Amino acid sequence: MANQNGGNAAGFQGKLLDRVFYVTGVLLFLAVWQAASSFKLFGADFSESFSPVAAFSALLEMIQSGELVHHAIPSIRRVLTSLSLAVVVALPVGVLVGYFKRVEQLTYVAFQFMRMISPLAWMPIAIIMFGVGDVSVTFLLWLVAIWPLILNTSHGAGRVSPLWVNMSRTMGAKDVGILRKVIIPAAVPDMLTGLRLAVGVSWIILVPAEMLGVPDGLGYFILDTRDRFRYDQLMATIMVIGAIGYLLDSANRWLIKKFAWKL
Amino acid sequence: MKQEQILISVQHVSKSYQRERGAIQVLRDCTFEVMKNEFLVIVGPTGCGKSTLLNLIAGLDFPTSGSILLDGEPVTGPGADRGMIFQEYALLPWRTVLKNVELGFEFQNREMDAGQRKAEAMRYLDMVGLGYAANKHPVELSGGMKRRASLAMILAIRPKILLMDGAFNALDSKTKMTMHQEITNIWASEKNTVVFVTSDLDEAVKLSDRIIVLGRNGEIDAVLRNELPRPRLGSAARDPEFHHRFVAFRETVMNVIKQDAGLRTCRVA
Repeated sequence: MANQNGGNAAGFQGKLLDRVFYVTGVLLFLAVWQAASSFKLFGADFSESFSPVAAFSALLEMIQSGELVHHAIPSIRRVLTSLSLAVVVALPVGVLVGYFKRVEQLTYVAFQFMRMISPLAWMPIAIIMFGVGDVSVTFLLWLVAIWPLILNTSHGAGRVSPLWVNMSRTMGAKDVGILRKVIIPAAVPDMLTGLRLAVGVSWIILVPAEMLGVPDGLGYFILDTRDRFRYDQLMATIMVIGAIGYLLDSANRWLIKKFAWKL
Repeated sequence: MKQEQILISVQHVSKSYQRERGAIQVLRDCTFEVMKNEFLVIVGPTGCGKSTLLNLIAGLDFPTSGSILLDGEPVTGPGADRGMIFQEYALLPWRTVLKNVELGFEFQNREMDAGQRKAEAMRYLDMVGLGYAANKHPVELSGGMKRRASLAMILAIRPKILLMDGAFNALDSKTKMTMHQEITNIWASEKNTVVFVTSDLDEAVKLSDRIIVLGRNGEIDAVLRNELPRPRLGSAARDPEFHHRFVAFRETVMNVIKQDAGLRTCRVA
């Protein structure tokens, strides 16, 4: 986050200068977007409705009408539900895989194989298994979130120094004590990294997954605005997707800052 | 020595490891006893199996043949009666120094509330002169401070036996002197038994009741009783008569080690 050249100047003035650069970046982004629409880069007919000005007024309209909340809440709910289910499964599995070499060998090929498959490839299977609707979407999101969580947790549990374990044993620790006081806390930074990756990829997969025939959600709404030729609303929805994703990632970075220990 | 004073009995212990190019024999038929409240130092060249011997007593590893008895009972695994201080620092990096010292209480599920745990941990941090750094994390400590913290962590579980593996290696000489004073004081006040592994002969002569010289081939070359009077640190060390005896005894130990090295050269030749 620090500037490449010169770094962050110290003190209040330096912080102010950092802020100025962040804000300037956002303004530049908006300027490029406006320019793209002014120069008709989105096509002669529709560039007007793709402009940031149109998007912001559509956003206000969507907030007032309640449409935004109506579609954002189910999206966030689906991501959080699938993440929770993924965490519940991935953390114990990851610890076992990381800590026991044999379990790692048993699962290595299967896990590396599975994680490379886009969850969207499972779409037809999900629909056959769970039908069209919330469960299918949640299942697909779960399937995408689980791999970074398992692999990072196992990496963390695998890094546990044998020295810590031996020391604990000479201090009278039993297996459960070692698991609770040594292995799990040791893996926390990697678990959080895994969570951050999982949140990122879930949020990205959410949009196509919500195009699977659910009646609400931001992904659904993208298709809906297209069908109603409301490109200003489409652009506003894209902005909202980006903004919520950014906030989720910020929350994760805060967690990492707060709970990840460093060597 | 009367029978009931023997605390650890190492009997005909050999240890070898299977490697790709055949077995490596680390210890060969080692037999010795450690008495209650004794300060026993094991010296020898690097790679002669000193640390292995300590691991066997700790119960972290097991002899290939022979047996180790603790109070007459065979060692079957690690236990809180034998606290081990490792060559590397084994502090948990996500805990503060204080919380590291409290770790042993948590493992043993002692009936203590948070306040009691904290007070007890502080007592041991003060004992090693590290009370002022209680709320620091290990990453903020110097090498000497990490040693002290590890020492406090192990002392807090009040082990009958302290196993110290190169515990003061790689410390600067001033810190080392302080640590020698502290371990001597603690040993005198807590009345525990110490088995101390080092390759520093000065250290061995300063601290020990007896010195075991372990040879390059994993056999015990000599068991030497250290007759130097205590206290041996601080002003006592400056007495010329004491100094003379100190150097003479160190010479004796050195000669055993040299002889061992010489023997090996002859055999190779």
